[in-house]
Amino acid sequence: MKFSADPNIVDFVKKEIYADGLEYTPLRENRVAIKVKPEELDKLAELFMKKFEARLIHATAVDLEVQGFEVLNIYDFSKVKERLVVILKAKVDKDNPSFPSVAKVTWQATWAEREIKELLGLNPVGIPDPRHQFLPHEWPNAVESGLTGGQYKFESGSQTKEMYLPLKMPIEESYQSLIPIGPYHPGVIEGQIVYVKVEGEQVVAADIKTGFHHRGIMKLIERRGYNKGVFVAERVCGICSAAHGLTYVTCAENLYDAEVPDRAMYIRTLLVELNRMHSHLLWVGVVADVIGWKTGFMLTWGLRERVMDIIEAITGNRVNYGIWRMGGVSRDVSQELAAKARRTVDALKEECGKLLTLVAEHPVVKSRLIGVGPLTKAQAFDGGAVGPVARASNWKIDVRADNPPHAMYDPKVISWEVITDDNCDTYGRTLVRVKELLVSCGIVSQCLDYLAKTTGEVRIKPKTVPAGAEAVGLNEAPRGELAYYMRASEKDSNLPHAIRIRTPSYRNNAIIPLMLVGSNLADVPVVMGSTDQCLACTDRVEIIDEKTGSRKSLTWDMLVNLSRRLSKQ
Amino acid sequence: MIDPIFTIVSLVLIIPIALFLGVIYQYFFRKLSARFQWRVGPMLRMYGDLKPLLGTTRLLQPLYDILKLFGKKTVVPEVSRKKLFVSSPYLSLLFAILAVLFIPFPGMPLLSEAPYSLIIASYLLIASILFTILGPVASGSPWAAIGARREVELFLVSELGFVLSVFSVAIARQTLVIWEISKGEQTLYLALLSVTAGALMLAAMMGKLHIKPFDMPEAEAEIVAGPYTEYSGKLLGTYYLTKVFMLYALVGLFISVFLPPLASSILWLPLYIVAALLILFLLTAVQVLNPRYRIKNAINWYLKVLAILAVVNFVIAVYIWLVL
Amino acid sequence: MSTEIKILKQVLSNYSKPMTLNYPSAVSPDRKYSQIPAGLRGIPERDNDKCIGCRACYFVCSGRATSIYDSDAKRKVEIFLFRCTFCAHCQEACPEEAIKMTDKFEIAVAKREDPSARVVTELDLLKCKICGTPYASKKFVDRAYERLMEKIDQKVKETVSSDFKKVDGYCPDCRRANGVGFDTHTKKHVWLEGA
Repeated sequence: MKFSADPNIVDFVKKEIYADGLEYTPLRENRVAIKVKPEELDKLAELFMKKFEARLIHATAVDLEVQGFEVLNIYDFSKVKERLVVILKAKVDKDNPSFPSVAKVTWQATWAEREIKELLGLNPVGIPDPRHQFLPHEWPNAVESGLTGGQYKFESGSQTKEMYLPLKMPIEESYQSLIPIGPYHPGVIEGQIVYVKVEGEQVVAADIKTGFHHRGIMKLIERRGYNKGVFVAERVCGICSAAHGLTYVTCAENLYDAEVPDRAMYIRTLLVELNRMHSHLLWVGVVADVIGWKTGFMLTWGLRERVMDIIEAITGNRVNYGIWRMGGVSRDVSQELAAKARRTVDALKEECGKLLTLVAEHPVVKSRLIGVGPLTKAQAFDGGAVGPVARASNWKIDVRADNPPHAMYDPKVISWEVITDDNCDTYGRTLVRVKELLVSCGIVSQCLDYLAKTTGEVRIKPKTVPAGAEAVGLNEAPRGELAYYMRASEKDSNLPHAIRIRTPSYRNNAIIPLMLVGSNLADVPVVMGSTDQCLACTDRVEIIDEKTGSRKSLTWDMLVNLSRRLSKQ
Repeated sequence: MIDPIFTIVSLVLIIPIALFLGVIYQYFFRKLSARFQWRVGPMLRMYGDLKPLLGTTRLLQPLYDILKLFGKKTVVPEVSRKKLFVSSPYLSLLFAILAVLFIPFPGMPLLSEAPYSLIIASYLLIASILFTILGPVASGSPWAAIGARREVELFLVSELGFVLSVFSVAIARQTLVIWEISKGEQTLYLALLSVTAGALMLAAMMGKLHIKPFDMPEAEAEIVAGPYTEYSGKLLGTYYLTKVFMLYALVGLFISVFLPPLASSILWLPLYIVAALLILFLLTAVQVLNPRYRIKNAINWYLKVLAILAVVNFVIAVYIWLVL
Repeated sequence: MSTEIKILKQVLSNYSKPMTLNYPSAVSPDRKYSQIPAGLRGIPERDNDKCIGCRACYFVCSGRATSIYDSDAKRKVEIFLFRCTFCAHCQEACPEEAIKMTDKFEIAVAKREDPSARVVTELDLLKCKICGTPYASKKFVDRAYERLMEKIDQKVKETVSSDFKKVDGYCPDCRRANGVGFDTHTKKHVWLEGA
């Protein structure tokens, strides 16, 4: 299938949505980039969110070296027109790097703008929560701007004394206590802190702090180039590696006029859905474990092993499949293997249906999940929930239906449905995931049927990426909408200028404190788990730009010495 | 007739026996729950090729786990009240062992012939649990504080069930000496009482042994290790050892009070073991079938069960006492 | 209540068929892994005879597991398995099909220096006749000549062959510096087009 732009898309956007932009650029697959003045960003956000019910996908910024920064707000207009994504670009001076905060209008942009502020040194004016996102809260501001680009000189004499308090919830009464859940805690497998203030066992306030997990993945991809980058992208997250692989190639293919063979599209769909199956099984197991039911955990993870076995037989690896390539996949699925896998999937579907119903209808499980971690549709919209969390609040968004990636989700070819639930609590999230798993089983069977009957090529050689091209790649990861933004280098180079990743957990984690308030301490891990948080995804970023400024970097020996000296004290 | 030499010898003997049986019980518990959970669990007989590496069996795995802890470094937190923090595990173990001495083993009446031994044994068990609460409270950790709080709530309700079930049998048999209860003959009504009171006792045992759904004091997903968060090394090992003795003591008490005459003669030993394993099977089944309750739900559940079963028990017990 | 009974049934039926294996014993001769599929991408293996030291695998390796060490007269092509992600990108890139993924997957060793953590191929390097710097592996040059001869037009074959022989043995720098002295034909491409 060929992916190219709708020629009339710019006219449509001008006529229907917004006509006063400075410059309109059509991108491939109904995506439009509009250059606007930075002062307009918040007004436009209000217009888009209120009038068109557009979703903010991500707010980020790109360093354009001597030309300044470019602030990007990416909106999803798929409810207005199929696959329409609008990228607002506003150029900001390096001398006065401030722009109006979108987070004033919609709370969901808070994390993204804190990230921009912290890592690029831009100043979102009027941001409601100006604390650090990834650095420690008490990190002095001046040092932080000294890190970004070099134009804000850090002078030790004029050091800003302003330090942010770690938490916005001081202990007022003696019967309250502050409990840190994390960064290393058996209830949360990865590193993050959720502070909960409890009275007895009742949670009265909650706050979340991330930043324990930096790996600089985006920078790693930028240095490796398009072909090698996909292997790094897969490793953003171990569980939804297929989703990251697919989104990466979708995004990279949108940089040029891509063509992907049908068979490869089916294989991609197959893998992503198998990935979703094992991720959801894993999630049900984790929730069972968190509420203390080891048997439920073992049962679901036992099933998960069988899904992993199918994946292993198809791709050759269990976790990071490594078969994603621009223009297709690297490995074909033989007809015999497809037929064999089809039989296994059928047996599995039956067993999954049986076991998961048992888990979901266990009376004690139900009593632990119903009414826990409530999230209404309005809260979900403002908080920017994505994926099963949003769908469990009866908000029907699914990227596979609205804005499909380069895989086979065409309703004419594959029959599937978007699952929603109106329980608006953790039990609803469980039901959504269990049903989605069965839907995924159906999609997998259909893909395997196609693969068992036909043959064909699976890979078309990618073309050269034009200089300065931009693209957005979207996909429904098991945890929700996953977005990649890529900008090709202005020079004729094999390296991308910038890559931004917005993972689903980045959004869903931000609303955890909202869901926690009012619950029992025993329910805190359940609520935290109910978003299927993936902290490896959340903390993936490092945008410190080394191009424009000289930055002193520590050598390994210096680090070792530093840690030794500290540990001695 | 009490033979002093035999009693002294058996008092010395019972401690290793209790330890061994407690370990076997725990092994059985772990193995069974593993198999119910699609796992292999600790090995009864090691595969041939692994024997040189790992030994012939993992039968004593629970014991190895405890011994390993005794070889580890013990950390005492600075903010804790050190005397209480350090002494609590040992006192807890001491009381658990003392309780073991008051519970008859087939062929060994031990101290259960003493007057009021039922009351003494109950209090010793309570004391042992009390010190698993006091030590953690002295540790100064918020997790331990919450865990201990939950433990207290749970202990209060489960203790009530324990006392009500044991003493209803005492009323029916009109004695407070465990040995006499365990020697007594069975009648239809007494068997009926054993069933209802035994059910109540099982419910109480679940709370005391932290069987799911009543393991909220140790809910690792919420409060790390609960009461034991700050404990390590020898002190933690001592607590685990206490658990072994406690398991043996509770199972032994159950059999001698509710299943007479299994604990009265050496000839009943095989049946005694079978009965113990059956009790453990029931506990395992409950453990693998249930997620953890919230503390609120647990207390509600206990109060409901207590209200129904305790009334039934007492009606039967008083009927036996007054009418028969 | 019926759900509980169903769960009980499921749990009891689990007893006879545990899903886990005792790990190391499962690799012993009498118990084999049943789960190794045909296409497993395990440890990469390099055919020492086929490898020509062209560095293609080095350029495509995303995890930087492959490295090239040139010492005096030897080129060492090495995959460090602790860094390898088993993506098989090098297998795709290898022009000689020397790299193959096997179904072995156990790479744990006690020390990083352990030789079994590396897949090494050693090749002879050619030294420049003038300056003495090693410039390419012998096999690489031979194979390049072979391929050239396979693909090239018959008309220019002899000329190219003789030219190749003339410049053989010099590093690129020296070849450039001493280009006049080699007396090679400069108009090969013109002949190629048939002019």
